[in-house]
Amino acid sequence: MTTEDSRAQYLATGSSDVGESNERLDLIRGVLGSEATWAEPPPQVGDGILASLAGEAISQPPADEARTGRWAVALAAVGGLVALAGLVLGTISVVKTDQDNIVAMSGTELETAASGEAEFGPTDAGWWVRLEVTGLPPAPEGSYYQGWVWSDDGEGVSIGTFHLRGDEMPIVLWSGVPLADYPSIWVTLESEADGPEASDQIVMKGRIPDVPEA
Amino acid sequence: MDREVLERFRLGDEAAVKAVYDRFGGPIFALSMSILGEHGLAADATQQTFIKAWRAASTYDADRSFGPWIYAIARRTAIDLYRKRARVVVSDEVDVVYLPIGLETVWEVFEVRSALDRLPDEEREVVKMSHFDGLTHVEIAERLDIPVGTVKSRSHRAHQRLLAMLKHVEEV
Repeated sequence: MTTEDSRAQYLATGSSDVGESNERLDLIRGVLGSEATWAEPPPQVGDGILASLAGEAISQPPADEARTGRWAVALAAVGGLVALAGLVLGTISVVKTDQDNIVAMSGTELETAASGEAEFGPTDAGWWVRLEVTGLPPAPEGSYYQGWVWSDDGEGVSIGTFHLRGDEMPIVLWSGVPLADYPSIWVTLESEADGPEASDQIVMKGRIPDVPEA
Repeated sequence: MDREVLERFRLGDEAAVKAVYDRFGGPIFALSMSILGEHGLAADATQQTFIKAWRAASTYDADRSFGPWIYAIARRTAIDLYRKRARVVVSDEVDVVYLPIGLETVWEVFEVRSALDRLPDEEREVVKMSHFDGLTHVEIAERLDIPVGTVKSRSHRAHQRLLAMLKHVEEV
């Protein structure tokens, strides 16, 4: 038996014909047996990333020609954003909506001039939320806006981020949780230096009265 | 990872983002699970990691290995989320304490999962049944309805491949 064979046997079984212990292989064996190592991300995580990045792409200022060109070509049509995510991952498809799926968004005391609408609709893996807002200034350097859906129990789930530093209306976000359970839509101002939880800088609010089942 | 894909990721190409997710989504989720221990939080951390990586993509040097770069973002993101969620008010006078967090094997989890995701499906399945489910070769053979000899050969090949891919982990 070669050394390689012996080490493979040790990794597989914890012992080998050579009879020597190997701490590093023992550690790897421990990792191979842990639940975390084998945990699979929920399918909607990939969709959510693409939808969030699509929202970022139309709300980011052009960083350089290459980035601007690529995203402009790929993502210029807002109506195609979520469909594009579906094309890439093969799971999202936008369902036609009507006026019942549009709610008013209003500025809070932090941004009294802000107003707009949030349109929403189901996908195969959650809900898309399209924001059209006016009167909300571009996020200051080092900060960004973040959309949230909020439950009546006080739990918030991020649906994406944007900056408003260019001509990027409307903004398409994505919720992986059912809007029936998270009927409030908030927009917060977040600092890039802070963690992922919602700040208390709520700048816009809206509420969905009745959400049809997806 | 293909240099062209990484370059396109750096430029924000959505197909490249998908390719990077296919390659690193599992390892990042596993890393996040090892720190956070809960699927929902780990999913949040995974999503945040990719968004942060995309935002920071212009700082990525395509001449360097991509794995350690996104690993660092993922680790920091999960720890940050952990600290936010692990805050415990212990009294009116003492603000918060942080629950203990085990970071000893986070890197190994990331690397091992990366290696596992590159195994052929039939070999990965045998490794999982052996290490995670704790089955013997005979039990695996019964469950998969294949000869024991096939299980043994798949297991041996799989562990040889893992050793080759994890040489840098073993030699730390």
